[in-house]
Amino acid sequence: MFLTRSEYDRGVNTFSPEGRLFQVEYAIEAIKLGSTTVGVRTPAGVVLGVEKRVQSPLLESASIEKIMEIDAHLGCAMSGLTADARTMVDHARVTAQNHAFTYDERIRVESATQAVCDLALRFGESVHDEEAMMSRPFGVALLIAGVDEQGPQLFHTDPSGTFMRYEAKAIGSGSEAAQSELQDKWHKQMTLREAHILTLRVLKQVMEEKLDQHNVQLAQVTPEKGFEILDEVRLKELVDDM
Amino acid sequence: MSIMEYNGGSVIAMVGKGCVAIGSDLRLGNQALTVATNFEKVFPVTDRIYLGMSGLATDVVTLREQFRFRVNMYTIKEERDIEPEAFAHLVSSTLYERRFGPYFIEPVMAGLWKTQKGEHKPYIAAADLIGCLNFAKDFVVAGTASEKLFGVAEGLWEPDLEPEDLFETISQTLLNGVDRDAFSGWGAIIHVITPDKVITRTLKGRMD
Amino acid sequence: MSSLNDVAGPQQRQFNPYTENGGTILAIAGTDFSVIAGDTRQSEGYNIQTRYAPKVFRLTDRAVLAVNGFAADGNMFVKKVKQRLEWYRHAHAKDMPLHAIARLIQTMLYARRFFPYYVYNILGGIEDDGSGAVYSFDPVGSYERETCRAAGAAQSLVQPFLDNQIYFKNQQPAPGTSFPAHLPLPIVLKLVIDSFTGATERHIEVGDGLEMYVVLAKGRDLSGLEGIVGLQELSTKSDGERIFVIRRELKKD
Repeated sequence: MFLTRSEYDRGVNTFSPEGRLFQVEYAIEAIKLGSTTVGVRTPAGVVLGVEKRVQSPLLESASIEKIMEIDAHLGCAMSGLTADARTMVDHARVTAQNHAFTYDERIRVESATQAVCDLALRFGESVHDEEAMMSRPFGVALLIAGVDEQGPQLFHTDPSGTFMRYEAKAIGSGSEAAQSELQDKWHKQMTLREAHILTLRVLKQVMEEKLDQHNVQLAQVTPEKGFEILDEVRLKELVDDM
Repeated sequence: MSIMEYNGGSVIAMVGKGCVAIGSDLRLGNQALTVATNFEKVFPVTDRIYLGMSGLATDVVTLREQFRFRVNMYTIKEERDIEPEAFAHLVSSTLYERRFGPYFIEPVMAGLWKTQKGEHKPYIAAADLIGCLNFAKDFVVAGTASEKLFGVAEGLWEPDLEPEDLFETISQTLLNGVDRDAFSGWGAIIHVITPDKVITRTLKGRMD
Repeated sequence: MSSLNDVAGPQQRQFNPYTENGGTILAIAGTDFSVIAGDTRQSEGYNIQTRYAPKVFRLTDRAVLAVNGFAADGNMFVKKVKQRLEWYRHAHAKDMPLHAIARLIQTMLYARRFFPYYVYNILGGIEDDGSGAVYSFDPVGSYERETCRAAGAAQSLVQPFLDNQIYFKNQQPAPGTSFPAHLPLPIVLKLVIDSFTGATERHIEVGDGLEMYVVLAKGRDLSGLEGIVGLQELSTKSDGERIFVIRRELKKD
């Protein structure tokens, strides 16, 4: 094993003879260690859901932040090294605000996603006279949800800087099971409420703990009200209705 | 700042069919400060000639008296009313007397003159502050809003307007012209001179 | 012979980076159309440099920009706006909406706050909601959406005329009626032509030629344009907004 990978997994920007960037591939692996995160698109809006792993009874679950607002019409959920996501969300926020400032309009979901992905491969050794770069790839994947003139959309980004649009997508430790469940249960004409319930059910299936309003978080982006994180009261209602 | 803009104000005259119209705004200012809103700048000279003056207010008042004096002298000597053309030249020569220390006004004249056959023909003229006459066939303007008045008049005026239509045309021209000028406005006065009467109307305008 | 005593005193020289090239531009918005016009004379002082220098430019199928003031700055500014529009098209896979172009122009102008483009801009076209729109700018980017605006050498001649004819200023509607917020296309075209013939008559920097761009909203028929001589279509698509240009001669003296 170490023979084939020999030195090539050391440099962050060195291809192996087989044409692979090992550090990027490892980064993608790192995401699979993260908590499960689900996104579901419907004609009425996009739903994001995350599992909050509460490792200790002394941990304040409210302090775990895995869903973040990018702009009034954009939100994102993350899985992997969530600290890395701050850099990306920060960049997305600045890009979105800059767009609104320059063009007096909301940035498109795809453009915001592209802006985040433009960051992903800016790691490596900094060249003379250039700004210091990041030392390694991001260890986090994002589900970016938003609404623009093309309606509600859901995008997935990974550490390679690749992004793709999905109807429903799961990332993180339970993603394989979650994704196949989404594939079974997702349909074109889902209501927002159906998407809430589906998201919770998928999370419940892959979670070790018993799902309640404290160890999951739900958010939605709708054309009417934009991005909003559902509070525990609304979350509890949904959990009870599951 | 030019002395011609010290008090602000604008005048205009237009030719109609067998009639003429002349009017001014009512503002008197001290630079940007409005001091009075009843300062007429058009005065009767004879029954059928009116003279308007824009520019330095003190000279407007001085010249009004100066012209009253000279026209009275003319009437007494000649034992007849002065004709518009002769009056225009009186204005011109009066101003040119002060060629190198001029009165800071631009006069605008409007009147009717009688042909041999007894019909009344319109006559308008304007001059610069040293009396260079401009006999126009359509309209003449003067004052701080002159550019604006030229523009609107060029768009609204047409030949052979009857007295009431001429009144409407000159009123709209003056009102809309002075509304885009900070130094003119605060209402206006219009005189339409026809062979048998002079129609005088005071107009309300924007008070800002 | 020169001696130390008659050496000239200190001299000052200055380069003035700006000139004023005359001309006038004008734009009027209708409910579902927009007209943007400009004369084609370019002058410097009392000299006419050319009788045909366009000041009105098609930016997209729904946006037209008129630029007046210092011609060199104007041409460069239009070039840069067009460049930004292309970049936007590549980044966002769509034509920039009119209100976004307006904001972009503000940021571009304000970026040069301390060495401004010496130009007055008027942007006309069709908004996303299908309404005709006109945006006017000062040289450092202050802007406003309006129904009509004139700018340039004959602004002071044309604007009060438009106040009267477009906004019905100082006019009273007949009892029981009200004035329209927007005028139909044939009347707007007549007013534009009248404005420019008037300005040509009384302003030496205005004349030679007139270019009127007409932008029609998506799906609007050509009513108001039928029978107009020398009408030329500039649109790239026939199913979206459409752009036409009408050229007229103005007096050349």
